[in-house]
Amino acid sequence: MKAKYLIGGLIVTVFVVIGLISLDGGTIAYSDIQTARSTPGFVKVKGSWIKENGADYDSEHDIFTFHMRDSTDHMIKVVHNGPRPNNFELAESIVVEGRIENDILQSRHILTKCPSKYEGNTMRDPSAYAPAAGEGNSES
Amino acid sequence: MFGQILVNFLFASAIVSCGAYFLSWRDNDVMRKVGRSFMLVVFGGLCVVLGMLVYNIFQHDFSYYYVYNYSNTELSAPLLFATSYAGQEGSFMLWTFLVSLIGVCMLPYVRRVGYESHFMSFYTLALIFLLLMMVAKSPFQFVWEHFASDPNVYTGFEPQNGRGLNPLLHNLWITIHPPILFTGFAAMTVPFAFAMAGLARREYTQWIRVSLPWTLFGTAVLGFGIMLGGFWAYETLGWGGFWAWDPVENSSLIPWLVCVALVHTMLTQKQTGGLVKTNFFLAVSAFILVLYSTFLTRSGVLGDTSVHSFVDPGMFAYILLIGTMIVFGVLGFGMIFRRIGELGKGAADFKLNSREFIIGIGSMLTLISAGIVLFGTSYPLFSELIVHTKVAMQVSFYNTSHLLLAILIGVVNAVSMLVNWKVTGKALFFKRLRLPLIMAIAATALVVAFGWQDIPYVLLAFASFLSLFVNLDLLIRLIASRPDKIGAYVSHIGIAALFLGVIATSRYSVLDHARLVQDEPTEVLGMTLTYQGKREIDKQFKDREKYEYLVKVQKNGGEGVVKPILYWSDYNQRKSAFLEPGINRTFVQDVYVSPKAVEIQGSSPTAAVHKFEETPFPFDSNVVVTLQRFDMTSAMQGGGPDLRMGVELTFDTPDSTWSEVIYSTRTVDNLWRYEPYQVPGTGYYVALREIKPDRSNLANSEAVLSFADIDRAETLEREVFSVEVSTKPFINLVWIGVILMVAGFGVAIVRRVKELEPRGKKPANPVGAAKPMPQVHDAPSFESESSGDESEAGKA
Repeated sequence: MKAKYLIGGLIVTVFVVIGLISLDGGTIAYSDIQTARSTPGFVKVKGSWIKENGADYDSEHDIFTFHMRDSTDHMIKVVHNGPRPNNFELAESIVVEGRIENDILQSRHILTKCPSKYEGNTMRDPSAYAPAAGEGNSES
Repeated sequence: MFGQILVNFLFASAIVSCGAYFLSWRDNDVMRKVGRSFMLVVFGGLCVVLGMLVYNIFQHDFSYYYVYNYSNTELSAPLLFATSYAGQEGSFMLWTFLVSLIGVCMLPYVRRVGYESHFMSFYTLALIFLLLMMVAKSPFQFVWEHFASDPNVYTGFEPQNGRGLNPLLHNLWITIHPPILFTGFAAMTVPFAFAMAGLARREYTQWIRVSLPWTLFGTAVLGFGIMLGGFWAYETLGWGGFWAWDPVENSSLIPWLVCVALVHTMLTQKQTGGLVKTNFFLAVSAFILVLYSTFLTRSGVLGDTSVHSFVDPGMFAYILLIGTMIVFGVLGFGMIFRRIGELGKGAADFKLNSREFIIGIGSMLTLISAGIVLFGTSYPLFSELIVHTKVAMQVSFYNTSHLLLAILIGVVNAVSMLVNWKVTGKALFFKRLRLPLIMAIAATALVVAFGWQDIPYVLLAFASFLSLFVNLDLLIRLIASRPDKIGAYVSHIGIAALFLGVIATSRYSVLDHARLVQDEPTEVLGMTLTYQGKREIDKQFKDREKYEYLVKVQKNGGEGVVKPILYWSDYNQRKSAFLEPGINRTFVQDVYVSPKAVEIQGSSPTAAVHKFEETPFPFDSNVVVTLQRFDMTSAMQGGGPDLRMGVELTFDTPDSTWSEVIYSTRTVDNLWRYEPYQVPGTGYYVALREIKPDRSNLANSEAVLSFADIDRAETLEREVFSVEVSTKPFINLVWIGVILMVAGFGVAIVRRVKELEPRGKKPANPVGAAKPMPQVHDAPSFESESSGDESEAGKA
């Protein structure tokens, strides 16, 4: 009976220790661009793509480049190793995992947060869905 | 309108059913009939509600916000059906429907085993909360109700088309994966309700027997659903793998792991009478974790950490989800706590060399795995609450911890199959171990020779091989005599195969980036890849352009074609393509080709020409072309948004003169798709690149021609297809493993259901009484013998 609990307790202890060890280096914090600039390691930065500045994929070097803006209105250039992610244009926000070197966010992973639908108080361009064309302003 | 009223009515009916069932505990037959009738009303009503939603979708009634938001007229019938649960409201409805369906299926069963009143009381309680969610999130809201603040959307407004479904979801898997996963989720309600009924009736053993087949069913279905999700991610979504420790994946894995443990501890109690408290605790936990999983994935709290889409369901649903968890948590754990004194009685003392002890260790390891995943998945939530910075878990956290866990689970599984219930002699144990051990060592040596060198992975391979051969050995001995008993072995073989597949694909996959110039063979990872051109598919749909990019893969004399897909859809106004991978499957490995981008290489000289201007070919002045007229006849016929236009050209060579009309199509996006014309007898091509109309004098319009020569490579415009190529060695073991595991569950369900059927009474062996172990074939069977030794020790 004693040995039973001893073995069980031992296993649990071992895994709690392992869990705590893997926790170190196993986690990654979210941060804004300003904080990320002063962080040496990897962080996750949430923001949105600055559409006006465009986005470019260089297939020779397999690099995707664009600019992003975070909620505090800071901007940064993002260089991502890999192609344009699926749903990139649709994404209402993106989360870039990477680190900042020479004021460039070197990304190793991009998460596109795509609204599977448009949520808002107004219908997106209701004229596109309107039943009767020619009512009011038909030029669009 | 009617839909919403019906939902409200069903909510009330569920309350009546639940209340009546509670009142029927003291054998009140009238109340039981009332409860049963209203349960049937709820089920029937949900059929109608679901039918109405599906009908609205198929009728394209876009005045309903849900229909407008998730479907459109271009979707095929299976996808239209899938939109009925693609949205939040619909997914709750599907879940609720499945819970009610399983409930109705349970009715004859629980009546037979005499559990109806108590079981259904708790079961319908769960239904009440699900229906409450449906009351709050109805799919029968009209667009003008949703966009109440938008003056353009007046009452009675019906959009002409809906927003449609994300193109990434346009495949077979969305019609299969969610319903199966939700069936698994719904089935988790059953062990919970049985556990609560057991506590209420103070029957701490019988509930295990009656609940076991259903627990097996839920575990099998949920496991299968999870795997289908992984297969979907791998096969279509192009995530590169089948598992990414994404919160959404994790949140369904956690209850599944708990259920796997529960299946084992239930068996242990059934066999030995021990682990009474554990079983109640796990049955309640599994259900709470399903609710927690829903909370994590539906409340939007983990929105930033997952690739899946979440939408904030609103404060009410958020609170409702938390409230539901609290209610069932307090109820479930409270009931256990109230009876805790009675539950401890008669607990069996497990010997260290007994099967029950080893299974206990295995279940504990499974629960530790669940705990780690739960901790990691919830970590961002709590870090935000406590230290106000959001911190996510990296994949390495799960991988590191699970590497060791998997090694131990493999070994423990092997050992558990070699020992008997109660007690096992050393000599017997080693005798059984010898053959599988030798084979496992040999197999491990083989994979090491093939290049598996990392020690942790080699250890995991050894553990998996050991488990594989132990179970295989027993399976072979049993299959002829007792095929009904092979379920556990089949499942464990599946797990071992899964582990081996995971090592091979995750650790020994290689990856490279390649630019494939059309028709130029390119060496990648020891293979020769040739991009051969594209082919348009799904042409019947007007809302998309979908191309298969044909890439020939040659390796060691073998040859195959992969077809990655670029999918331009109106969903994102065709701004960029949705990418789907192409996979070349062989048994040994998959070659996985993920598209990245398509570009044009090379540039052909162009010339802007007007009517009757003579233009010599840039690389051969002997060939002269003259624009004769613009040909718009094709443009008139098409009628679609794309315009096909042509120019008639006269070709003059020293030998002859002739005329030819060449065409180009202007797409809605103002892109020109040209059809090159080869000058006969030469390697020259000419193409119409564009027509620039002069609006004041159409006759003075300009045509842009381009020229190419097959001998001048730089003039040939060829597509460059950039891809990521990776190998996935033995990924088939992953799929085969899971399918075997599910199949094993299937066999076990059949056996446990048969066990419950009344048959000739056998003398019951009271627990603790030593009884001889049957030693037929020298093989231990997973269950010592028939079900006659049910312990009644826990019964008060």
